[in-house]
Amino acid sequence: MSGPWAVEVDDLSVRFGDFTAVDAVSFKVSPGEIFGFLGANGAGKTTTIRVLCGLLVPSSGKVRVAGLDAADGLMAIKRKVGYMSQRFTLYDSMTVGENLSFAAALRKMPGDVLARRTRELFDTIGFDQPVTMFVRDLAGGYKQELSLATAMLHDPEVVFLDEPTAGVAPAARARFWRLIRKIAASGKTVFVTTHYMDEAEQCGRIALMRAGKLIALDEPGALKTRAFPEPLVEIEAGPGAPEEWIQDVRRDAAVLALKPHGLRWHASVADAAGVERLVKALGSFATVKPITPSLEDVFIRLVEGADR
Amino acid sequence: MSSVFDARRAMSIARKETWHIRRDPVTLIVSLGLPVLLVLFFGFAINFDVKSVDLLVADGDHSRISRELIEVVSASGYFNVRRAASAAAAADALGAEKGKAALIIETGFGRELRAGKPVEAQVLLDGADNSNAGIVSSYLASAEGAVRARLTGASAPPVTLRTRFLFNPELDSHWFVVPGIFVIVVGLISSLLTALTVAREWENGSMEILLSTPVRPLEIIAGKLAPYMALSFAAIMLVYGLARLVFGVPFLGSHLIFALATLLFLAATMSQGLVISVVTRQQQLAFQTAMNTGMMPIQLLSGFIFPIESMPALFQWITMILPARWYMILTRSLFLRAPDFSMLLGPLSALMGLTAVFMLIAWRMFKTDLEP
Repeated sequence: MSGPWAVEVDDLSVRFGDFTAVDAVSFKVSPGEIFGFLGANGAGKTTTIRVLCGLLVPSSGKVRVAGLDAADGLMAIKRKVGYMSQRFTLYDSMTVGENLSFAAALRKMPGDVLARRTRELFDTIGFDQPVTMFVRDLAGGYKQELSLATAMLHDPEVVFLDEPTAGVAPAARARFWRLIRKIAASGKTVFVTTHYMDEAEQCGRIALMRAGKLIALDEPGALKTRAFPEPLVEIEAGPGAPEEWIQDVRRDAAVLALKPHGLRWHASVADAAGVERLVKALGSFATVKPITPSLEDVFIRLVEGADR
Repeated sequence: MSSVFDARRAMSIARKETWHIRRDPVTLIVSLGLPVLLVLFFGFAINFDVKSVDLLVADGDHSRISRELIEVVSASGYFNVRRAASAAAAADALGAEKGKAALIIETGFGRELRAGKPVEAQVLLDGADNSNAGIVSSYLASAEGAVRARLTGASAPPVTLRTRFLFNPELDSHWFVVPGIFVIVVGLISSLLTALTVAREWENGSMEILLSTPVRPLEIIAGKLAPYMALSFAAIMLVYGLARLVFGVPFLGSHLIFALATLLFLAATMSQGLVISVVTRQQQLAFQTAMNTGMMPIQLLSGFIFPIESMPALFQWITMILPARWYMILTRSLFLRAPDFSMLLGPLSALMGLTAVFMLIAWRMFKTDLEP
């Protein structure tokens, strides 16, 4: 079927010699979605993105991007997508304006269109640095914003952002994500990879990759309830806790898993009755409160599950 | 061939490269300053002229005739005549590198000659210094004719050897060396410049973004070649001025053909550099490869120092893939003779062919996918 998907990946595999970088991955992304792509380095995220941008020919499987597939030609796909790669790749010895003008010239964009798009994008992004400024003199956050503007100059339907906020200050990261939401709200599909869990929370759906395989794909909330169907509590011991209290908790049959989180402990408990018993036993010296798992908890569990 | 090449995209790459070049003092210095400096330096340093060779003379005869022989040799101006006590002393002095050649005249040389018998004087040459030995031996051989004329007097028709050197009558080795050096210097630098340019984009990741646009390999190749060609052409003009003004090398050929030959040579060496760049994808490796493939082969096999005609057939074939070999022929004949265009057709078309082959290889080897 060729539904109204922005990205369709069907049984995609990419092999480099004996190494399988992407292993039989399938998923679909709808237009206007913020699609998060997570996984450790080497999990196959960048390789997948490169295939989707027409930079890499898959070993097997099919991809369809913005309604186009390999039969329409890689060039046709390249016209419909924007790509911001992991590394900062603007030209340092050129000005902001020259970088944009070069990107426009490669896409044969007329001068007036370039001027209009630059104005629009700078407005959206809130980029206020002078165009005559050399890129090497821009601060990190501005560089990322300019990279994004360059990737979106030709008004692509799908934007691929490969770790766009790596090495950027927290305030600039937050700014950048506001931007991503704005872009998605305007109907563009944003396909983004990240290592930051707070960023992953902001995605519409998250795909988790592990050693070339897709091990989970869902909305952040759904992923949490699926990974942790049982209650999760946080235990913080106050002063006056008996020395061996944590051993007692560990021995409790209802406690399925216990992991330290800084000075606190996270325990997943078999059922509500188990939680009540814990509260009763520890109540005099510790606080026990139910929590929703963080995405980090979820990924640790999912990855461990996939390894088993 | 709009599906392979779009001139406007190539132009935009060229414009971008021009920005890079203009703002990178290192590139400018290396491409314009270095050739001038090297040609000046080596132009003065390398000198094939053989003058004031130390010649040890052991005269065991002490006759009028032996003295005449020595006088003729010393009058040639090529030798610094120094006396040796005996033949053995002369040979020892050669061994101790106190001279480059020895002339040994045995006792009875004059008497035998007057008696009408064939006589011989012995010449010893320091064969370890191969380049001088050849020249010295040919100087002495030509002295032989002059000696015979003087010694035999009117009784035999005077035999004189008149050697006239065509095209470089002064036998000024600058005339020969300078056009050669500039081929080598510009050839090496120009291939180095382009060897680094594509590798640089791979290394800093901008190639990935470049390739995510609809740009095609041939457009990148052409766009990168053009500005560097212009740059190196300017370098050649500087060096040309140097050859004419500083070294006084004449230029007898056509400037138009020289410009054409230069463009073809630059196109060939630069596309060779691009092949290196496209294949290595790393600046360090590209640099080393360009130096290793450029330096030694060009110096030794281009005909700069060692005549190609005296190489074994296999090596003569190998020299054919060196753009410098063809440009060397072209510059030397354009500077020093006024050649017919028909004589230059061969080297010119060889350069054209090499450019086409290197371009084709660079284009075909240019990977548009990012397989690590």
